[in-house]
Amino acid sequence: MAEAPAKGDGAPPGSSATAGGSGGIAFFLALLRARPAYALGYVIVATVVVLAVLAPWVAPYNPVQASPVDFLKPPGWPHVMGTDATGMDIFSRVIYAPRIDLAIALAGTLISAVVGSALGAAAGYYEAQRGIGTFAAGFVMRAADVLQAFPVFVFAIAVVAVLGQSLQSVVIAVAFVNTPIYLRLMRGQVLSIRRMRYVEAAYIAGVSDFGIIRRHVIPNAMAPVLAQLSVNIGWAILLTAALSFIGAGVEAPTPEWGSMIAMGFQSIITGHWWPSIFPGLALAVTVFGFALIGSSVEVLADPARRRALAGELEARRRARLATA
Amino acid sequence: MSDPRLPFLDRRSFFRTTSAIAGAAVMPRILSIPSAHAQAGSTMVIAAPATPQSLDCNFDVSLGTFEAIGALYDGLLGFEKIPDPGVPSASREDISFHADLPGGVNMVGKLAESWELDPSGTRVVFKLREGVMSNWGNELTAEDVRWTWNRAFELGALGAFYTAVSGLKSPDDVRVEDKYVVSFNTAEPNPLLLKIQTNLYTPVYDSTKCKEVGGTDDPWARKFIENDSAGFGPYRLQQLTRGQQAVFAAREDYWGGKPAIDTVVFREVPTSAARVQLLQGGAVDIAQYLQPLEIISLQNVPNVVVETVPASFMIWIELNAKTPPFDNVDVRRAMNFAFPQQQVLDAVYQGLATPLNGCMPNIYPGFSDEFFEYSYDPAKAKELLAGAGFGDGFTTSLAYNAGDPVQEPIAIIYQTALREVGVELELKKIPAGSFYNAVTERGQPMIFYVDSPWCPDPGYSLTLYFDSASYVNYSNYENAEVDRLIAETAATADEAARLDMMKEAQGIIMSEAPWTFIAYPNYTMARKAELEGFTYYTSNNIRFQDFHRA
Repeated sequence: MAEAPAKGDGAPPGSSATAGGSGGIAFFLALLRARPAYALGYVIVATVVVLAVLAPWVAPYNPVQASPVDFLKPPGWPHVMGTDATGMDIFSRVIYAPRIDLAIALAGTLISAVVGSALGAAAGYYEAQRGIGTFAAGFVMRAADVLQAFPVFVFAIAVVAVLGQSLQSVVIAVAFVNTPIYLRLMRGQVLSIRRMRYVEAAYIAGVSDFGIIRRHVIPNAMAPVLAQLSVNIGWAILLTAALSFIGAGVEAPTPEWGSMIAMGFQSIITGHWWPSIFPGLALAVTVFGFALIGSSVEVLADPARRRALAGELEARRRARLATA
Repeated sequence: MSDPRLPFLDRRSFFRTTSAIAGAAVMPRILSIPSAHAQAGSTMVIAAPATPQSLDCNFDVSLGTFEAIGALYDGLLGFEKIPDPGVPSASREDISFHADLPGGVNMVGKLAESWELDPSGTRVVFKLREGVMSNWGNELTAEDVRWTWNRAFELGALGAFYTAVSGLKSPDDVRVEDKYVVSFNTAEPNPLLLKIQTNLYTPVYDSTKCKEVGGTDDPWARKFIENDSAGFGPYRLQQLTRGQQAVFAAREDYWGGKPAIDTVVFREVPTSAARVQLLQGGAVDIAQYLQPLEIISLQNVPNVVVETVPASFMIWIELNAKTPPFDNVDVRRAMNFAFPQQQVLDAVYQGLATPLNGCMPNIYPGFSDEFFEYSYDPAKAKELLAGAGFGDGFTTSLAYNAGDPVQEPIAIIYQTALREVGVELELKKIPAGSFYNAVTERGQPMIFYVDSPWCPDPGYSLTLYFDSASYVNYSNYENAEVDRLIAETAATADEAARLDMMKEAQGIIMSEAPWTFIAYPNYTMARKAELEGFTYYTSNNIRFQDFHRA
């Protein structure tokens, strides 16, 4: 999970580990050429996002408009993915759905990243100091242990049950279950960074704790957090859909993949597979896309693997030149 | 450290997610039921949504409990059976009005051998069968009947409802006249004295056994009755594992002769799709409570027979008369004109229901369909709303039961239809476990309800839902004239006059639209072809003793 922090005491304060290589965009494009699977991930996610944004113009039907005379039409024309039991157009609903799923996943993940990182930075920074700081840091870490001890899904259901069924509740549930991940990640980073000479120098120069954490520690510890972020969004989409599947998420008939699957899965047995298979496929492909992006970000964010990859790309380029 | 190529799917978290999702889905349990049971000639396996909770019908109205009570207990009377006019292989009760018969009803004795209704309508005397034994070997006597009704008085709950509708004021109104003769006596003429004795929930207990097990700590044997039985019915309880199965064994010494099916295994299979699969695969003999599309899909399966008959079920939406804007009659009427009833019946019920065109079951005597005027007419709805001061529409919410798969699609279709007349409907999904509470609290502006008045009587039906003092009047409907007609109907034994008054009440109620009228769903029996004898009862449950193998 956590990548080894950048080695070497000489890294200038404030510089980001991701900026370590030369020619950011060019390198990125070279990477996509060398690893087409990564490119596929970006294409999938870009397509989903664009369709979601343009849904009001692209979707042939209103996604919440029932049309009972057209109930359970199989895929064909004009309903390319068919209609569900109330005659709503499944294709329109499938492309509207990421507006909800992605929004919840993004919001939940960002909140957990911000809160988790801040708490983790503080916990890591104060952990080795004596006094109240150590106590507080220990308390935060043990609280995170408790949170992580619950199965994620069960815990999320409990959170939604307590807060009531709404979009906000799902966002909070997603944020809640993910926060400990960032907390641990950031704390691990900070524990090593706080012993760096530039941190000690800042301390001796009289910079406040807050100033050191903000200007020197967090920027240098961000790389693995960013990598984790893209990984986590895929996760969060799954969690959102799962919560909606069991009826704890969004309210009907809001277009959302999990609730669409739930509305349709019982009728698979009677031969009406399309109301649930299409949203299921969309969900699977989207999460897969985020997984691929996560992999690429991990490579980009890890200086060691990045250097190795740069070397490989360079070797290939030379080989191509030599054969030409 | 995880495999870098699968960053978010390290092994542990992969299992965590997949098991959570698999846990929410339900299919894997399907094949866990041994099919060997179903092969045995005199065993019948039923796939049901739930096993009985309590076996005490004074307190429990859950689905599985109905079947259990019908098997373990008998009452004094039953309706005569007739072939179903639409489905020749099925039977049903003859509940129609017979002017030439006492009380206007066509009945047969069960635990009672004969009975005499006093012309005043205030007294009925039952002569019990002699030599009827309970499942504990005690003989039925008049004391058992008296004790049973005494129990209803003492424990309240559902028993209090039955004593009230029977016009009984105190335990002394049920009198032992002789060892085998018992009488029911009321101060006012009561039209339900006979009909109430056919009710599934007025069975007779073996008081000897109950007194023996209850002792002084538990004089009404509540603990015992909750988990076991002491009755004069055709089956005894062999096993009850709640959440899994209940097993019933036929009684050799049943007064009506030993039932054809020796053993009944009542299995809990919560998902209707799974129940369909079990029936298709031959693992069970009967699959209960299926969805319309599933019923349609079973109609072409060899060796499976589907019998679908008109029933006493009704589904409607309560329009809460105490919550604005539904305190306005025109708004309630508009809600009905804006409801695309026929489209809902076609899309959601697939023809397995008829339009709810009245406020009581259409199969009961005294029903009238002439007051239904609410064919789908959005223009008329808009006009009524404008007249009521809601020309710009309004926003309200509709609560539905997550456990009933037909309610969500109906709600979505209604939401779309209401948008056309300017009404914004917010849908509230309520978990099955707390739905009944939400109904009884009467706090929702609009909420679905499915019910059936078991007693085939117009007075009984209208009292339940429209008497302003009734507990079941969940729409808070109140009309002084309707209250008066209901009270008068309950206090006269003149059947023809009762029917007239109840017709008048139906006219008033329908014009004031306390509900959004949806459907009369059919009762459907899905069974193996060789299992014959299905009989429809207005209590919407099956009775195992009716069945035999061809």
